[in-house]
Amino acid sequence: MARTWHQGAEGAQDADPEDADPGLARERTALAWTRTAISVAAVGGAILKSHPVPGAIVLAMSPVVWVLGRIPGRSAPGTAKPERLLAITVTIVVVCCVALALSFTITHGPGIR
Amino acid sequence: MADAHAAEPPGRGEQDTAGLAGSEPDPRFTFANERTFLAWSRTALALVVAGLAIVQLLPPFPGVPLGRHVLGVPLIVLGAVIAIASYLEWVRSQRALRLGQPLPRSILPGVLAGTVACVAVAAGIVLLLSALR
Repeated sequence: MARTWHQGAEGAQDADPEDADPGLARERTALAWTRTAISVAAVGGAILKSHPVPGAIVLAMSPVVWVLGRIPGRSAPGTAKPERLLAITVTIVVVCCVALALSFTITHGPGIR
Repeated sequence: MADAHAAEPPGRGEQDTAGLAGSEPDPRFTFANERTFLAWSRTALALVVAGLAIVQLLPPFPGVPLGRHVLGVPLIVLGAVIAIASYLEWVRSQRALRLGQPLPRSILPGVLAGTVACVAVAAGIVLLLSALR
């Protein structure tokens, strides 16, 4: 397996496009981070409807997640960074706690009656 | 920055933050492991949204006062469990990749399928109870 640390056209010229351009894996991963950030925004939007303040807090976490995903583009490619992923886990657990707290509050919001 | 990485000899992985054993794997494997973690994270978030929607948006089930909580709260808790477990699995997989070992088997699909099946059965029971009333 070619150990290609370069990005883009300066990579090795192998038959496998993945070998020639490991930036594809980086691209997919960046897209996955974007999807995750959108998911966080969706959760925030869902909470926002009935509880504006916690909803806005969760919504504000979305760009933070997106920025976390941009970090590997600037530093060592493919290097494992547990802190970023741990941040995602902590974010989701916090969101879960917020959701649980909201579940046990009586809502007078625009719920369907 | 780029020159340093280009000159990095194979097998050099001692400077990893966690002080892990083994050598830095192919970056694509690391990326793939990261994407798997992110996919589970999105699954967890979707479960939270589903649980929240059940509790907050559904009308109460007649005759089953806590019906919405019985269905929604397990989904939210499952979201937190999946978020934590997927991180632990990412750590395990990354260690296996570094050591060149086979990847450990994931428990997450089983946990997800089992809990969703239980919630589905509970939803059927709650619906039946409220319909029979």
